[in-house]
Amino acid sequence: MTKQIFKHMQILITVALLVAFAAMLGILYSYFGVVQEGQVKAEARLAAQGVEAEGVTYLERLDLDTTRVTLVAANGQVIYDSEADASSLENHISRPEVKEALEDGEGMSTRFSGTLLKAFVYCAERLPDGTVLRIAEPRDTAINIAAGMIPFVLMLLIILMVCMWFAARHVARRITQPLNQLDLDHPMENDEYEEISPLLKRIYVQQKQIADEKGRLVRIERDFTAVTQHMAEGLILLDEEGRVLNMNNKAGKLLNAGDVYIGTDILALERREKFREILAGALNDGEHGETVLPYDRLSYQVDVTPVLDGKKVIGTVVLLFDVTERETAEQMRREFTANVSHELKTPLHTISGCAEMLESGGVKPEDQKKFVHLIYTQVQRMITLVQDILYISHLDEGAVDMSCSRIDMCLIADKVIESLSPEAAKKHVSISLDSDGEVIYYGVPRLTESIIFNLIDNAIKYNKEGGKVHVSIRAGSDTITLQVADNGIGIPQDDQDRIFERFYRVDKSRSREIGGTGLGLAIVKHAAMLQNAQIRLESRLGQGSTFTVIFQEKSPE
Amino acid sequence: MRLRFDEELNNLNREMILMGSMCEDAINTAIRALIKGDPDGHKKASAIVTEISHKEREIEDMCLKLLMQQQPVASDLRTISSALKMVSDLERIGDQSDDIAEIVSMQNVSDADDKFEILDLGQAASRMVTGAVDAFVKRDEAAAREVIKEDDTVDDYFDKIKKELAKSIQTDEAGLEKTLDLLMISKYFERIGDHAVNIAQWVIFSITGVLEGNTK
Repeated sequence: MTKQIFKHMQILITVALLVAFAAMLGILYSYFGVVQEGQVKAEARLAAQGVEAEGVTYLERLDLDTTRVTLVAANGQVIYDSEADASSLENHISRPEVKEALEDGEGMSTRFSGTLLKAFVYCAERLPDGTVLRIAEPRDTAINIAAGMIPFVLMLLIILMVCMWFAARHVARRITQPLNQLDLDHPMENDEYEEISPLLKRIYVQQKQIADEKGRLVRIERDFTAVTQHMAEGLILLDEEGRVLNMNNKAGKLLNAGDVYIGTDILALERREKFREILAGALNDGEHGETVLPYDRLSYQVDVTPVLDGKKVIGTVVLLFDVTERETAEQMRREFTANVSHELKTPLHTISGCAEMLESGGVKPEDQKKFVHLIYTQVQRMITLVQDILYISHLDEGAVDMSCSRIDMCLIADKVIESLSPEAAKKHVSISLDSDGEVIYYGVPRLTESIIFNLIDNAIKYNKEGGKVHVSIRAGSDTITLQVADNGIGIPQDDQDRIFERFYRVDKSRSREIGGTGLGLAIVKHAAMLQNAQIRLESRLGQGSTFTVIFQEKSPE
Repeated sequence: MRLRFDEELNNLNREMILMGSMCEDAINTAIRALIKGDPDGHKKASAIVTEISHKEREIEDMCLKLLMQQQPVASDLRTISSALKMVSDLERIGDQSDDIAEIVSMQNVSDADDKFEILDLGQAASRMVTGAVDAFVKRDEAAAREVIKEDDTVDDYFDKIKKELAKSIQTDEAGLEKTLDLLMISKYFERIGDHAVNIAQWVIFSITGVLEGNTK
């Protein structure tokens, strides 16, 4: 600013100075001309008086410096000249000043002298004898005058420049100070310069636009963040190089990303082989990929979808969602199928073996009955198994008749104990039932029966020779508690969580010997769940187990 | 200019992560093969090792090019020079994993029931490799120090296994060949641990500029 102002001032002052200089030169030049003419005239008069009194000798005595004196006869003939030989000079009758003097007694003229290459002021006086005395003084040229003035002008210029520099600085400050102090946050409140009000207005409008736009973006981002951050799924956005553009909380937690993750290479956060493969597929070939990866103890499906602009991959979206349940269910299904096939295959082998031997006639007649019995028991076993499987799959599908009716739990327990008494007798297990007479429950008869049956059945099966089973049914204020306690082999602590799983056996090696399908407790669990009943288990290895089922009493609708 | 350099450093970083992950894959393949006594593990491990070797060349080329063209200084120079050193340790880890898988494929050790200790050793070595790669990826000095500390566990395991194997040679419980194979496998795991320590030390060097201890 200072420099700009200084530059402009400099130009202005220089031009002004030059103009002033030229004008002054003109004025001075003409002024000096007039003064010189007067001087020359005075000199001419004085010399004329001298020549009048003393003749040409007066002229010869004169000590002349720059002044040239010429005496011209009335016919123009030069009689005397102070600078040149009179005889060599031409006739002066035609010179304007001489002509004028001959006519009017006095003549003035300014001319450039070809002889001396200078401008001269001439003044001629006619003497009484008719001769003309002419005085010539060299004229001060404009250059001479100017040359005299230049040092002063230059000095002036320098002084002015210095002054101007300070002045410019001052002016610049004066101009810019209010500009610097402008409150640009509130542009319309400034009234220092009217000239910049369009600028301020523009700033004001643009500021408002920016604020509006920013507000809009913030709102959009807030909405987006609110949605993505509260998603149950992990979401990661990657650029075309596989660097993180953004990710939500869930993804950050899963990948252990910490606070600074924007711009990080995703491989720094997740570099397992399966992920690397699908990521490379997405980034290089623009192919969608998915895989299942474990995170902690959960399984997550990882979907990598490329974002395409035409055919070019410009980024990738990675989505992580919890499929633990699905995976577990799938695994259970797989295990169930494997278990079912296994359980079915074992009796079939026995049956097939026995049948083959019978067919080949390799069995003694007295042993035949034994073999047929074996076939019969194995077939019975298979029937029970298939029934159980069908039953449990009915329970799974909810295809069981769920209509409730009034059930006397004691009566059911009695019936079950009776039906199981042959088994109990075989193992010399005594069963006792302890109840308050009639305990009425509104529930699904078949489910309730299967709970009681399976629990008592297990209590007998997993008992010691000569063990005891104690069944108690008690009605509480709004619950009915069924308890089946035995003093049998008990269940190890580690297995207690798992015994309700299908086909889970604590002691796999003894399962064949004990019999059973491995589905009993799974059925109990399911049946209890469908009736909103809770199951508790207390068991100590070698001391026996106590299963407690708590039914919520329902009123008949 | 700097932008391009940063870009290339990022690429280098990515390639290093990839190579590190491949080594993790290799050692895990070896451990899986050992658990199952699976002879096919060798094939898979060899394939990974071939890839690792290619990666090593690639990274070396990248590093040399960066050193010549960019003439890096300070932390950039440390990053590149430590990458150059780390790749050779990573490559050794891959090779030794393959060697383990190869021994397993000879089927001398498949029925060994005294493998559990060695599996513990292998898992510890694998944890060290993962830890070292993690420390590099996250530029985490503390994690690198953890790895160095864990080497003692690996060494202890190895000493214990060695003594037991020596005992079993004296009592001639198992075949001599099997015992020797188990000893070799243990030694390879122990060496893998040492290479992981080297990597951790280079990670610390690239962060602090101080190279601690002697690389093994």
